[in-house]
Amino acid sequence: MADYAPVDLTAEGQVEFELNGRRVSAPAGTMLVDAAYALGVEVPIFCYEPRLGAPIGACRMCLVEIEGMRGLQTACSTPVQPDMVVRTNSDIAKDGQDGVLEFLLENHPLDCPVCDKGGECPLQDRTFRFGPGRTRFVEAKRHFPKPLDLSSVIALDRERCISCYRCVRFSQDVAEDKALVMQERGAAAEIATLTGDQYEGRFTGNVIDICPVGALTSIPYRFTARPWDVTNTPSICGHDATGTNVELTLREGHVARVTARPEPNYAVEEGWLSDLSRFAYEGNRAPDRLTAPLIRDDGRVKEASLDDAVDAAALVLGRGGRVGILVGPTATVEEGFLAQELARTALGGARIQRLGIPGAGLDAIRSQPRAELGDIDGAGLVVIVGGDPPNQQSIVELRVRKARRRGAAVITVGPRPHALEPVGTAVRSEPGRLAAAIAALDLPEAASTIVLWDEADLAAEPDAAGALARIVGDRGASQIELGADVNGAGLRALGLGAGDVLEAAAAGEIDTLLTIHADPLDGPGAADWGWALGRVRARIAIAAYASAVTDASTVVIPAATHYETDGVYVSMTGRAQRLRPGATAPAGAAPGWELLIALAHRLGAPPPYRSAARAFAAAAAARPALAGLDYDVIGVLGAPVAAVTPVSPNGVNGPREAAGTGLPLVTTTRIFGNAAAHRSEALASVRTGAELVLNPAEGERLGIADGARARLRSPHGECILAVRLAADHPAGAAFATTGVPGAGVERLLPADRGPVNVEIEAP
Amino acid sequence: MNAAAISAHIEPIRHEYAEGRSLILPALKYAQTEKGHLTREDIEAVAEATGFSAAYVESVASFYDRLYLQPTGQRVVSVCVTLSCMLRGSDELMERICDRAGVSHHGGTSEDGMITVQEAQCLGYCDHAPAVQVDAEQTRGPLTLDDADALVDELRTSPRPDELWR
Amino acid sequence: MPIRNVVYRQREAGQVLTDLSDYRRAGGYEALRTALTEMDRDETVYAFVRSGLRGRGGAGFPMGRKASFIPKDSVLPAYVVCNADESEPGTFKDRELMETNPFQLLEGITLAGYAIGAVRGYIYIRGEYEHQARILDAAIAQARTAGFLGQGVAGSGFDFDITLYRGAGAYICGEETALLESLEGKRGQPRLKPPFPAVAGLYASPTLINNVETLSALPAIIEHGADWYASMGTEKSTGTKLFSISGHVMKPGNYEIVLHDTTLRELVYDIAGGFRPGREFAAAWVGGSSVNVLGPESLDTPLDYESMAEAGSSLGSAGCIVMDDSGSIVRATLRLAQFYRHESCGKCTPCREGTLWLERILQRIVDGEGRMEDLELIESLAGRMVGRVLCALADTGVLPVTSAVRRFRDDFVHAIENGGVPRPEPMMEVPVGG
Ligand SMILES: Cc1cc2nc3c(=O)[nH]c(=O)nc-3n(C[C@H](O)[C@H](O)[C@H](O)COP(=O)(O)O)c2cc1C
Ligand code: SF4
Ligand code: SF4
Ligand code: SF4
Ligand code: FES
Ligand code: FES
Repeated sequence: MADYAPVDLTAEGQVEFELNGRRVSAPAGTMLVDAAYALGVEVPIFCYEPRLGAPIGACRMCLVEIEGMRGLQTACSTPVQPDMVVRTNSDIAKDGQDGVLEFLLENHPLDCPVCDKGGECPLQDRTFRFGPGRTRFVEAKRHFPKPLDLSSVIALDRERCISCYRCVRFSQDVAEDKALVMQERGAAAEIATLTGDQYEGRFTGNVIDICPVGALTSIPYRFTARPWDVTNTPSICGHDATGTNVELTLREGHVARVTARPEPNYAVEEGWLSDLSRFAYEGNRAPDRLTAPLIRDDGRVKEASLDDAVDAAALVLGRGGRVGILVGPTATVEEGFLAQELARTALGGARIQRLGIPGAGLDAIRSQPRAELGDIDGAGLVVIVGGDPPNQQSIVELRVRKARRRGAAVITVGPRPHALEPVGTAVRSEPGRLAAAIAALDLPEAASTIVLWDEADLAAEPDAAGALARIVGDRGASQIELGADVNGAGLRALGLGAGDVLEAAAAGEIDTLLTIHADPLDGPGAADWGWALGRVRARIAIAAYASAVTDASTVVIPAATHYETDGVYVSMTGRAQRLRPGATAPAGAAPGWELLIALAHRLGAPPPYRSAARAFAAAAAARPALAGLDYDVIGVLGAPVAAVTPVSPNGVNGPREAAGTGLPLVTTTRIFGNAAAHRSEALASVRTGAELVLNPAEGERLGIADGARARLRSPHGECILAVRLAADHPAGAAFATTGVPGAGVERLLPADRGPVNVEIEAP
Repeated sequence: MNAAAISAHIEPIRHEYAEGRSLILPALKYAQTEKGHLTREDIEAVAEATGFSAAYVESVASFYDRLYLQPTGQRVVSVCVTLSCMLRGSDELMERICDRAGVSHHGGTSEDGMITVQEAQCLGYCDHAPAVQVDAEQTRGPLTLDDADALVDELRTSPRPDELWR
Repeated sequence: MPIRNVVYRQREAGQVLTDLSDYRRAGGYEALRTALTEMDRDETVYAFVRSGLRGRGGAGFPMGRKASFIPKDSVLPAYVVCNADESEPGTFKDRELMETNPFQLLEGITLAGYAIGAVRGYIYIRGEYEHQARILDAAIAQARTAGFLGQGVAGSGFDFDITLYRGAGAYICGEETALLESLEGKRGQPRLKPPFPAVAGLYASPTLINNVETLSALPAIIEHGADWYASMGTEKSTGTKLFSISGHVMKPGNYEIVLHDTTLRELVYDIAGGFRPGREFAAAWVGGSSVNVLGPESLDTPLDYESMAEAGSSLGSAGCIVMDDSGSIVRATLRLAQFYRHESCGKCTPCREGTLWLERILQRIVDGEGRMEDLELIESLAGRMVGRVLCALADTGVLPVTSAVRRFRDDFVHAIENGGVPRPEPMMEVPVGG
């Protein structure tokens, strides 16, 4: 819980006033509670939560005495005034606070030892610190039979609710999903959804974090742990490229819960998590997790020790053939760097690439001034080009909604419908013709403009990247990349390209392939990769989860996931942030950086360091983009990597034409449709599969009905999908969901996710 | 009631309000005239006609005493029990009406579904205390206990109005 | 003492003026014509200020002052909102004004709208007043047809219309900011103040909110002059006021009297006909129920704002509920506590929980399970509510409880010591006069 807003006591325009007999000052406009907190005086609060918007003054917990004003005032809704005389601890102020607590506890069970919030509950805390010892309420308390399931992940205990409205305001005013409400009135008021509905959305779990009592609790976490047998570690979400800051709650070596940090990162997620960030951790122990090293010998598979597996890997790699190394998008900067070092030293001459979007042509827009997610709030104009941020970089949605609430104009341009379109003015572009749509934009004047652009969409249309870069440059705007890959920016900072190995393998120039968190057979270009990898003789996989690649590898070495390792991720806005190991990796697995150092030792080129911190320092020393960074500099909240060297936006002209015949394919993504969501039991009720969405007119033209199945065929590959006809999707394109495990839409795409057309027919 | 019917009612007055949210209450009240209470379908229809979420619309409806989210009888009798009426015998009147309607003394809906009896707060007819209201359309008082019996009997036999304004 | 039907003009003739032509014949809409043709906006506001007219909804804030707070330079349109939510126990004066003289209200709203430069007026009427709402609907339609509403009101350059908005059963929607929330299609829960409605009210626009009776007085003030109005009553309580009187009196009803000219005794005995034979005055809640209850020692208090305050109560909405010595003050107090518990919107903790707690304690006392310390507990809890809640519902809603416990302590002690309070013989089957 963020609770109090940060206050800059050194800012211009301070107002002087008296607080508990002390002469103090705080910036004009600061709410008294926040000023007091910054000055070391804690006024208790419940309903106040500055991230939810203007104060509502409902709980009355923050009552203080202000000289010259009748009764007591709520410090959360009273801005500091020159020379006001405030007492937060006078008898009358204390009586006010005690009184409110007494009223709150009147109907509250106060059975903290059996309450899921016990030990970390502001109400329990305040009862203890400020409250009266005994209750004068002799009547029977309000009683509800048992907690309700607000959804499959959130339980509501109505007895414990103190009607602070935080959860309702989050739903109505922050997520704007409008689903959580207060029903009835007076003492009968209770938190609810539309009768009979579950509370579902992309951000629902945040209400658990902001509930100041044990009324809203996490069902997956319920009863698993008490606050005294857990430890909390700040880390980064590894499920999208936003760099969302999280806190991992650990119990007995496992991640028991993911929450926002108590001190949010205002530049990034502002303490709000998507439900994917929050609930995907259950996948860390999913059945497809690799827990024991495997060595394949003449078609026989045998389990091995980690040492033996690393030895075996070294043996295969050291045989002298031509080596290719693939670094996957969730690999840390350290892992990417160590892989590069292997290729430079022990495996001199090895080819190496990251799996991801090559993005030639994107540097024109990337090198324009960068903004942080936190800057979106204050923009006068927000332009979103391509992509589907709510599903792909979810917390961006909350920032854009906040900007709109604060009066920003929002314009979206892109080929696919998404949840931020209704927030502003939506311009629908023709598939593969973003550049034309960008050129035709009529942007209003604004004091500050932030352009958000989708990496994959613009990479597929380099001319659009150039056109957009010109707009950004001309307006003095700043830009935010809507990155596709978790650590794509980190791997790029290392100078890792995204094409070498595929070409070489396809040409039969790779004998041995080392994959690090990389599964090319399940990503874009899966079909092309499949063909190319068929020509490779031996494969070594360092991976956390089983995949088609690990199934066909000679040596499989289980790796720690991002929940279990030290490392650095660079977010899509260029912010380097630290992963800290929360859970311990399974006995048969180890962090990728450790495995790579061990491998280097076995191959006779030992690096001069044995820790992730030192590996990162070496990377920072060797790569200009990371210059000046180390774990200390990155600290708790992260530090920016160097800007991309400016590139003229005038390079590319004219669209890139799509391969194949038929309808242009527009890929879509669903927040709960990816492998991480599919692995987590907590998300079972919201997870979604893959589908082909067509405008009803296209359905009719192709003779395909809603709910039928269709075969899609591109020059690269084919797959079969269920069809949904939807009028909100334009005709002239085929919309197919990527990222869904096993669905195979990636097979239709080239490895660089370039444009393709698909033929559609009944299977 | 369906969204089209609700829209037909509220669209002509939309221009009278700077924000369309103001139409929620008129829409709810009108939607209720059909069945006398609001079902989930009614709530969803109001949501559709006004453009607000059904959860929000339901939460608004649940705030007000005269919007019913549970089934009610064909006629709702509200017996004022606030001070002026109490002084003049509203408690006795309430009991008598409940007895005659065949519901508990706290109120409820008669078995034949004809009458719902409920306590109400001051109806603004204290000069006619003890006063009762039938739906929101007719207010009667002062009522004697015999009047109470006659009222229940009358409501049992009189036809339901086309629109139920409660 | 005399009843003076001077402001609410239909009362003199005992007429029902629901037909525009009748209203016109009785001099209706002349005031509006005068203002539109002979007075500018500031002069109109100034007339209201000089009249000394105080808000009749309960708080008694000077109407003209409030109108003068409406900013002139706002980029947003201004509105007049008429508070016709009349739900204060014992109060039914607005009902009668709307039933019998709807045009006077419409004319008053239009005058107020002209004075502050508003574009529209809204009448927020409680849902239970469906009958009165239909009368107003018809009146608004007639006024529109006759050109008293719409583009160019009465041939002037002033465009103004009135919208009737029906509530749906919630006392709290009479609180002005809760009313605005309700009118905006939200749950009727009060807003934090500041900002005050005059600055940011309906749709965040400058908004003048007044009671039905307040607005209905405006035509007479313009017609006869502010000085005429101010010449009645005292300096701080000018003009006439409608008193709703009910309870154990023989002639309950609405009576218009000049402020200060009449005492409580005269209202109860001379105007409202006193009590049944053998019964005597026991208690009165003079200003609606949200006030301190008064005993017989206050009978000679003149009915005006200052005198009522001096007597330890307030004039409130002038919905005077009177109880004779057959009633039980303890039961009456419980009944009012139930009212506030039922009507608490639940937004703020001390009111949501405090009204429930007070009701529970009083219920125990009535049921014979009271304890002597409950009386101190009531004081203490009420003390923890007053001045600490978000709106005046709880601030004033505890008054009838605490004042009863103080003024009629013996009755409470008696109830605690003697197994509670039996249900008293109700006053039933008596003719209603007035
Ligand atoms: C709980 C509560 C209920 C109220 N109910 C009414 C009401 O029904 N009618 C009314 O005119 N004022 C009512 N008021 C007073 C209004 O808030 C407001 O002061 C009044 O409408 C202003 O108009 P006036 O100045 O003409 O009296 C109520 C106040 C509170 C706190
Ligand atoms: S919500 Fe807090 S105070 Fe209440 S029982 Fe749980 S831990 Fe205790
Ligand atoms: S559930 Fe929690 S957050 Fe929501 S209103 Fe109740 S106490 Fe507040
Ligand atoms: S005092 Fe009562 S009615 Fe007023 S805001 Fe608080 S809870 Fe609502
Ligand atoms: S924290 Fe100030 S009123 Fe709730
Ligand atoms: S108290 Fe019953 S109508 Fe007023």
